[in-house]
Amino acid sequence: MNSQLQRQGSATAVQGTGYTSDQGSPRLRRVTSSRSDQNGPQFNWRPASAAQEDAGQEAAVPPKDLRALPMPMALKRAISQVQQMQVPVLSSFQSWKRSKAKSLSRARKSIGGFLHYITLWRRSLNKIGGNFGDGVQSYFLFLRFLVVLNFLSSMLIIGFVLIPSIVFRSVASDSVNMTDNGTAECRQYDHKPDPLVRYFSYFLDLLSGTGFMEYTYLFYGYYRNTMVAESDFSYNIPLAYLFTAVFYFAFCLICITARAGTAVRVAVATGGGATGSYSRIVFTGWDFGCLSDRATKLKQKNLHYQLQVDLEEERIKNEAASLTLRRKVLLYSSRILLSLVAFGLIIAAFYGIYQATTFSQRKVKETGVLGLFYEYLPSIVITVGNFVVPVLCDQIALLERYNPSITVIVALLRSVFLRMVSLGVLLFTLWSQITCFEGVSEECALCHYNYKSYPCWETRVGQEMYKLTLFDLLITLAMLVLVEFPRRMVVDNSSNKLIQFVGRQEFLVPVNVLGLVYGQTVVWTGALFCPLLPLINTLKFVIVFYAKKITLFSNCRPAAKTFRSTKSKVFFLLVLLFGWSLALVALIYSIAEIHPSMSCGPFRSLASMWTIVPESFYSLSFTTQDFLYFIGSQRFSIPLFLFFSVVMCYFIALASVYGKSVDLLKAQLKLEARDKQFLVKQIEELSRTLGVAK
Amino acid sequence: MGATASHLGKDLLSEYQELTFLTKQEILLAHKRFTELLSREDKNLPDPRAPTEAILTLPELKSNPFRERIVRVFSTSESRDGLTFEDFLDLLSAFSDSATLEIKSHYAFRIFDFDDDGTLDENDLEKLVNCLTGETEETRLTPDEMKQLISNILEESDIDKDGTVNLSEFQHVISRSPDFVSSFKIVL
Repeated sequence: MNSQLQRQGSATAVQGTGYTSDQGSPRLRRVTSSRSDQNGPQFNWRPASAAQEDAGQEAAVPPKDLRALPMPMALKRAISQVQQMQVPVLSSFQSWKRSKAKSLSRARKSIGGFLHYITLWRRSLNKIGGNFGDGVQSYFLFLRFLVVLNFLSSMLIIGFVLIPSIVFRSVASDSVNMTDNGTAECRQYDHKPDPLVRYFSYFLDLLSGTGFMEYTYLFYGYYRNTMVAESDFSYNIPLAYLFTAVFYFAFCLICITARAGTAVRVAVATGGGATGSYSRIVFTGWDFGCLSDRATKLKQKNLHYQLQVDLEEERIKNEAASLTLRRKVLLYSSRILLSLVAFGLIIAAFYGIYQATTFSQRKVKETGVLGLFYEYLPSIVITVGNFVVPVLCDQIALLERYNPSITVIVALLRSVFLRMVSLGVLLFTLWSQITCFEGVSEECALCHYNYKSYPCWETRVGQEMYKLTLFDLLITLAMLVLVEFPRRMVVDNSSNKLIQFVGRQEFLVPVNVLGLVYGQTVVWTGALFCPLLPLINTLKFVIVFYAKKITLFSNCRPAAKTFRSTKSKVFFLLVLLFGWSLALVALIYSIAEIHPSMSCGPFRSLASMWTIVPESFYSLSFTTQDFLYFIGSQRFSIPLFLFFSVVMCYFIALASVYGKSVDLLKAQLKLEARDKQFLVKQIEELSRTLGVAK
Repeated sequence: MGATASHLGKDLLSEYQELTFLTKQEILLAHKRFTELLSREDKNLPDPRAPTEAILTLPELKSNPFRERIVRVFSTSESRDGLTFEDFLDLLSAFSDSATLEIKSHYAFRIFDFDDDGTLDENDLEKLVNCLTGETEETRLTPDEMKQLISNILEESDIDKDGTVNLSEFQHVISRSPDFVSSFKIVL
């Protein structure tokens, strides 16, 4: 009797607090009649219409979203019929608004259906996610994003730079006369390929961008500085070139921040989620999209591993809290030493790249296969460094004995640093060769750049970036054919214990993502000098997608350790932004500081690429000039700045208020739980006294 | 009902679009896959019910350790056995891409509630963990680890300290996990 009463009491309490229904106006908490066969928590679907009927304000209630009700279809249909029968008294404006909202939602649904249909590679991505998990799928989603980004930006460049150049090449010739002040030598540019060439040199030229490929639309040197100015139409190609490059960077920045924004919003809302990890793993860990027995067993193994590791870490943490002072000092000093060793390895790699680049630039006149080798030497050294140093850093990180999650982050950060800054070292080396360290040597005195070795230095930089991109692709395909397929065949056909222990290739997501970011950074750096590079990169990434998919399904086993997908999304985009900012520095420096080549390209008559903007400015009409002067003046910019500060303060205040209300609600939840406990105890006591009294 | 087993009427289709999160193509695909599950005699019935064994042969559910619970939760029959087409649509709607967090967490709670009493007590949690790690001997956690794990879970998520996890506490945990919406997904 007592237990039954207690159960009924707790059941009523469950019904009372079980479902607060969906967000919106506070609903009347009505305890539904207790049924003898309760199959789960009840849902109070009776909306607050009872309270509002008295107020007669039914007109203000929008129709409930029936899809979000967790009920069987028959009940939902009944509710929708009831709702339709309650014809509310609406004013004509409200009924118009409601019909517009309905047609808008219908239009949105059809657009969503259409987009769903044309989404690139949707089926492949589903298959990958179902068989290998979320972490691997996030890599392919990132790759798809980069393909779309590169494609759109190459359309931009083709539309504004390439097509006008092709059109106006036949129409107008170089329209700017250059003053002849003893710089005739600077204007010599011999781009005609050697007429007597062996047939395979075409192939070598394709790989290195020299020879027949050098003086084509691919590179900066081919574009002219035509400024078409007809009666009602004018097109300034140098200005278009510059603005397209700048807008390309801005466009990429907007896309990346838009994509990162959603991920960051989710990460901030869920507060990182360091606490509550056990319940989170158990309640949200299962991936319902697993499509095969193998995937299910794998997921189960993952979860088992994760739970075991977490329980183990907890035990170790309880032990480590009692470490002696001496052992702590030892641990921290060993960590500092190993960090210095890792840093030293990275510096050694940079020095190697610097030497390789200077050597390669010196040997630029060689031909044949040896010449090709010298041309590709910087790329080779960078790739070797990118393979060897992270492996060593991983071993060092193991010795440092951090938390497993911190180890992954530390190793990733070191790899990012290595890859990005190695590219920076390459650029720095090139720059020092081109400008002879700010023109101190006599080679650069005449033309402000080293015109003997670099008659058209922008094309040369573009060729370097082109080579890097191509080499990256070739290495990926070579790894596929020469390493991963043989490894799979060896593992499958031999029964050696050691080989079985090493096993098949694991698909390591962070390493692959860093490869993509590196490739994209190279493209950003080279886009100013090689306008078709984004298009080439689109094709390259498409090939990489299919190659990685093939190797994933044929050769790889899924990783034993899972990779948190949302935190990693933000991390990938942050690394991409870091690469973008590196390329931006290169772009700004090239536009503003370095003297353009006098023998080629759209900026050949200018002191720097940026000076085309002030020059074209004076060709605008006077009203436009006055307007632009006004925008740049203090009278406009200071009030604008104040306005933006006010808006930012508003949003900061709003964010802090939301944070405080979230904390308040959490405390209220705890209080209500305590109230419920108190009431349950009261019921117990009451039933006990009643039972005693009986 | 307005539909034979082989063809969905247009008004029924639009009604399903209103009442579920599925798009038109998804509903038609679901209809096709559902009729494949029916036996020949059942196809001519006005409101056919596919038996549980047939539904468990679907490749999307075949290797899911929660498959029987899923069918039980969404079934509207007295004996909780077998799904009608509307039950099937409810299932796909709750597991679809565009379903809200509330509806997903509601159904996840009901799926994990193995004894259907409205709360997750220690037995439910133990059965849940065994489903997650696998039922065989070498994949189960040791009894000590299981006890430690369950006490950790209850410590983290049982706010009112009654020894069970109820729906609001469950939803509170779910809301702090950003991966849940994307992992609680079944797409045909």
